[in-house]
Amino acid sequence: MAEIIVKYDNKVIERIVTEKKRVSIGRTRDNDIVLENRGVSRKHALIEFNNNAAVIIDNESLNGTFLNNRKINEEILRDDDIITIGKYSLVYHTESTEDNKDSSHFDGTMILKTKKQKKLLENDKIEKQIISKYGGSVLLGEENTDFSEYKIDRDVITIGKAKFVHVKAKGFWISGIQAKISKENNCFVLYNLGKKGKTLVNGEPISKYNLKNGDLITIGKSTYKFVEGNNK
Amino acid sequence: MKLALISDIHGNLEALTSVLKDVENQKVDKIHCLGDVIGYGSDPSACLKLVDQNCDIKLMGNHEYVALDLISTENYNEAAKISSDWTKNQLTEDDFSIVSSFEMKHSFQDFLLVHASPFEPEQWHYIIAPDMAFQAFSYFDEKICFFGHSHLPQIYMELEDNFPRMQAGHDFLPDKENRYLINVGSVGQPRDNDPRACYLIFDIEEYEVIYRRIAYDISLAQKKMTEKHIPEMLIDRLEVGR
Repeated sequence: MAEIIVKYDNKVIERIVTEKKRVSIGRTRDNDIVLENRGVSRKHALIEFNNNAAVIIDNESLNGTFLNNRKINEEILRDDDIITIGKYSLVYHTESTEDNKDSSHFDGTMILKTKKQKKLLENDKIEKQIISKYGGSVLLGEENTDFSEYKIDRDVITIGKAKFVHVKAKGFWISGIQAKISKENNCFVLYNLGKKGKTLVNGEPISKYNLKNGDLITIGKSTYKFVEGNNK
Repeated sequence: MKLALISDIHGNLEALTSVLKDVENQKVDKIHCLGDVIGYGSDPSACLKLVDQNCDIKLMGNHEYVALDLISTENYNEAAKISSDWTKNQLTEDDFSIVSSFEMKHSFQDFLLVHASPFEPEQWHYIIAPDMAFQAFSYFDEKICFFGHSHLPQIYMELEDNFPRMQAGHDFLPDKENRYLINVGSVGQPRDNDPRACYLIFDIEEYEVIYRRIAYDISLAQKKMTEKHIPEMLIDRLEVGR
């Protein structure tokens, strides 16, 4: 994975690791590397990766792109090359080096994501939003449920067909109270209580199970996803 | 309107006076203080008075909260505990009335000021990584939230399809389309490997952020701390900025 160390006034301000084929650099947020400052055009430059080679391309920027202090239009990048854009310098490394001496004092690395990684991240983001909204663990309705989010805000919640349960489940072969989730030592434990049907976690029947973030609970036709919060 | 935003002075009078001198030269209209005026350093009382006289908006920090007995020091390390007790003993009645006038957070125009995090401000959560900033972004509506607490000058920009981008603090022109969380750094106990006092200038019309680093008499500050038997670890860290 290629690495780009962004410096301002010779101080490392950002470290970027990427597997992307094209990395755009500019002032606006839709760029991969955003440099909000004078002397940087909205779409300033591009780095393109092709067959293990990387090329820096200036995008007809107003103030130009410089490679090792020479103004360029398009140029092949070599390890340790320095690209200058406005007041920023971007040091290019063909391979990322975890304990790079340039960035050893910098602990935030931005990893530019591919589409698949972005999708996973998007899900993660939605779950985090839900947790921060409710401040605790949540059941998400995945299939055949009458809610999209249910906050687990008590020590015991019941799941089943009966009128009085906390979480309703659909299907013929299930009991009035088919399962319960109880909070034990800061963990959420799922118990199967019903005699009629089964309680499944990630497709496997359980009698007692310590829930983990992302587990899928299926009871009858209903499926819920368990999202673990900070137990507050 | 040019604002100077100062935070985490921590009783370091030498750092504070050097910063205030620089602020004067920078022709700033107003100074706002984001909390933790006291704790660790040798001059809590003098720092409180200077902040009270010079600053417009004054926010509560966790060290003020401790002094007012609103949280316990149970989870603090030994040095922080000793210094908190010592600090509290130095404060006069006037000092306590200054501290109790501090606000938890302050919003104006498109900007929010808070000591630690817009998420549960009185819980003093740290924002030191993109995932922490991600959560904090959903707890304010303003364009920019300026904060302190971690002593690390940092800039987080909200992104649509990723965790926020994090950069170390540096001069820049925030894009008005974007939202930011900006840590103004620490006046009295920087921890980003640069021992110079740190504060930030925000020019509202120019929409420009400028970080200022100011050298001050560190050895004098350390000498005074030694005389007051403040734990060594708190004294040593000033010269390395960690």
